[in-house]
Amino acid sequence: MVVGGPVLIVIADVIIYLLLGKLGKRSSGTGSKYQPFTGGEEDIAPRGLYQSELFVFATLFMVVEAFVLLLAGSFASPTNYYPLLFLMGGGGVILLVTWWLMIVGGVKF
Amino acid sequence: MIDLQIAEILLFPGLTFFVWIGFLFDWLERKTQARMQGRRGPIMAGPYGILQPVADFFKLASKEEIIPEVADKFIFLFGPPLFFAAPAIGTIFIPVLGPHAIVNNEFDLLFVLFILAFTALMATMLGYAAGGRWSIISVGRLVVQYTGYEVPLIVALVTPAVLAHNLSIDGIVAAQQNLWFIVRAPLSFIVFIVATLAELEKPPFDIPNATTEIVGGWMTEFSGRPLGYIKVTKDLSYAFLSALAVSLFLGGPLGPVLFTNPTLQSLLYFAYFLVKLFAVGFLIFTIKTALARIKIGQAVRFFWMVITPLSLIQLGLAMAVGW
Repeated sequence: MVVGGPVLIVIADVIIYLLLGKLGKRSSGTGSKYQPFTGGEEDIAPRGLYQSELFVFATLFMVVEAFVLLLAGSFASPTNYYPLLFLMGGGGVILLVTWWLMIVGGVKF
Repeated sequence: MIDLQIAEILLFPGLTFFVWIGFLFDWLERKTQARMQGRRGPIMAGPYGILQPVADFFKLASKEEIIPEVADKFIFLFGPPLFFAAPAIGTIFIPVLGPHAIVNNEFDLLFVLFILAFTALMATMLGYAAGGRWSIISVGRLVVQYTGYEVPLIVALVTPAVLAHNLSIDGIVAAQQNLWFIVRAPLSFIVFIVATLAELEKPPFDIPNATTEIVGGWMTEFSGRPLGYIKVTKDLSYAFLSALAVSLFLGGPLGPVLFTNPTLQSLLYFAYFLVKLFAVGFLIFTIKTALARIKIGQAVRFFWMVITPLSLIQLGLAMAVGW
């Protein structure tokens, strides 16, 4: 259940989320209703792209932290199974998410 | 046997139980805050307004979901259940009815640490997927704050593991049979509570969703079901982090054994757990209500100059003298 438990929760979570979707209406399109909130200002904000070095540092910090944590924990392991699983699963998810953030965010090295 | 374990994971003492605890925390927080500010707080839904968070959730779930033009639609719509999944998974590693959690292994503390990192990252991702100007400003603040509190949070969580010589939450709970780690590592407990306030974006660290400055922060563009899910996730994280504090510093559900009947003793363990859980929850929302928001620079400086050294001093003491 170490792997099955989390998988079960994710499946139940997604099913409930989809079922709840039947309660309300969903809409997307163009026009003032679908413009991002401006707080009363006249100009509509375009999708912002970050160029901040601090932001890039922070996202890389997250990835490095997750990897260091998982690697550090693996030293005391009697078997390689769980440390490898955590490293690949956890680190992989964080890495993918960070790549997405950086690509969509328009990062420039 | 597997059916029973599935029921435990999804219903009690797993996910559903912690979601209800989260709703209860939400209500208590609003009531406490109202009382401290000379108001009455929620009174309409259920006795004393206790069902108000539930009513709020279903109200949001039944409202229209508006997806902004600039949003990354897939992440915007399907990010909230992933955001919810992180603390939801964490709940199955918390011992509630006795010394053992529903699911345990020798490295579950590492898994929990990953969950905490992933929760912050998902919030960042959701805010960035929304794409509005307030969301982007908020995400910047969120990430900067994260770099401040994450290191002391991890060090504070690792200290009980060092004291117990164990990386499993069950093992750490068992090591507190005679003396709680809040006595042996008080600084780590303080650091954990402060970092929890930052992780939950509660005052004085509610900088990423400062209403008077950046509207709803990274949640500004969300509405309907996704917003409802985000709010439930915040309540669940509240319950989960409080439960983690109970497990790592207050001996989890352990306490005096009064019954030989395992069912009765299990109920007693559950009662101990609830008392400790609500004590930690009450501590967090009392601090939250009493303090005002600080600036992002002040928050990061505070974490790096005060909280991180405190956490390292306690870790050093734990490693050097076991205290």
